[in-house]
Amino acid sequence: MTSALTPELDAMAGELALGVLEGEARAKALRMVLANPEFAARVAMWQQRLEPLGSAFSEVSPPAVWRAIEAELDARERNKGVSSLRLWRGSALVSGAIAASLAAVMVLTPPQQATVPPVSMPAATTAIAQLSGEGDVVLAAEFDTRQQLITIRAVTLPSSKLVPELWVLDGAGVPRSLGLIRAGGTTSVTVPDDVRPLLVDGAILAVSLETAEGAPHASPSSTPIATGKIFAI
Amino acid sequence: MPESRGAVLRRDELSDLLASVAAGDRRALASVYDRTSAKLFGVCVRITRDHSAAEDILQQVYIKVWDKAERFERDLASPITWLCAIARNTAIDWVRKHAAARPLPFDPDTAHDSEAMSALEALSEHDSRTAIFDCLEALPPNQQKAIRLAFFDGSSHSELAHILKVPLGTTKSWIRRGLLQLRGCLQND
Repeated sequence: MTSALTPELDAMAGELALGVLEGEARAKALRMVLANPEFAARVAMWQQRLEPLGSAFSEVSPPAVWRAIEAELDARERNKGVSSLRLWRGSALVSGAIAASLAAVMVLTPPQQATVPPVSMPAATTAIAQLSGEGDVVLAAEFDTRQQLITIRAVTLPSSKLVPELWVLDGAGVPRSLGLIRAGGTTSVTVPDDVRPLLVDGAILAVSLETAEGAPHASPSSTPIATGKIFAI
Repeated sequence: MPESRGAVLRRDELSDLLASVAAGDRRALASVYDRTSAKLFGVCVRITRDHSAAEDILQQVYIKVWDKAERFERDLASPITWLCAIARNTAIDWVRKHAAARPLPFDPDTAHDSEAMSALEALSEHDSRTAIFDCLEALPPNQQKAIRLAFFDGSSHSELAHILKVPLGTTKSWIRRGLLQLRGCLQND
């Protein structure tokens, strides 16, 4: 099912790689990277093409930030002890098999739900998800379907002045905000009525870093730092 | 143009260091930092036009290098431009989130162009000049200027319209046509 990209999407891939897109156009292209592997590959190709131009940037005497970099790496190492897998393994909620499959989840495509009506997990009252991304980025989430409450814990997040925002992807791969969450510790998120039908078994949660003002945002302004599937248990 | 022996050596050393970083060698990352932080800070400052933001971004960039080093393919990419791409993308991400905070770019007819040109000219004598520079110079002047401002200054569509004093639709079409011609030129190379 590999359909060639439309000329419009092809051009958009080049524009995203060059960096000229802004506002909603940029958000749309970033969502497309997440939802459409072919588009993502095209963006990567454009980046590779343009990359050699970087040799023309002039040097500027840099500030001494090496110690800060080391400190951040140290902090991340200390957090490693609380790795997500161990967390799930230690939990009575999850069987070993599910824990293993959770660890393997790194989803870049939207859930297939074309013909299945979005019945929100009739049998199960609890669903879980592990969101992971580059490096050590990990979040653990539990969804109580009766109370429509998501409890999400940021296990390891990159340090940033920006704030993590939680999203659920609809069938077309378009993110819907579930609001800001805490960068450290646990956040309880009440799921709004209009978003409930999206929280089906296999739906994808994503976290991106956003500015606090204006949240919940209509769309993410950057690529997600972590994604993961919801599993009913 | 053949690469000088010194350049090949520097490039190989940096590629070796990135391989060690991928294996988790913190001292290798320190060496990469020593060799490249001036260049990458140059990228961050040029794009953000904000020294303190560029400082924060520079830190993030080396954390990303630590995480991504295993994805560097030494046969396909030059280590320094691979690193520059990480810095440029991180800086542009920041700029798009803080669009209002960024001062206007340089006047394209004075400071900017002469600076960009001299960098490009200096590069023509440099060993790492690649086909894309010839392809860029072969573009019609407006397309060339728009793509340079976008790449080197991180200018967005609307910023380009403002700097180049043309309607938004015009800058979009310059960028699109320029990118297509660049691709064609690189494929024919």
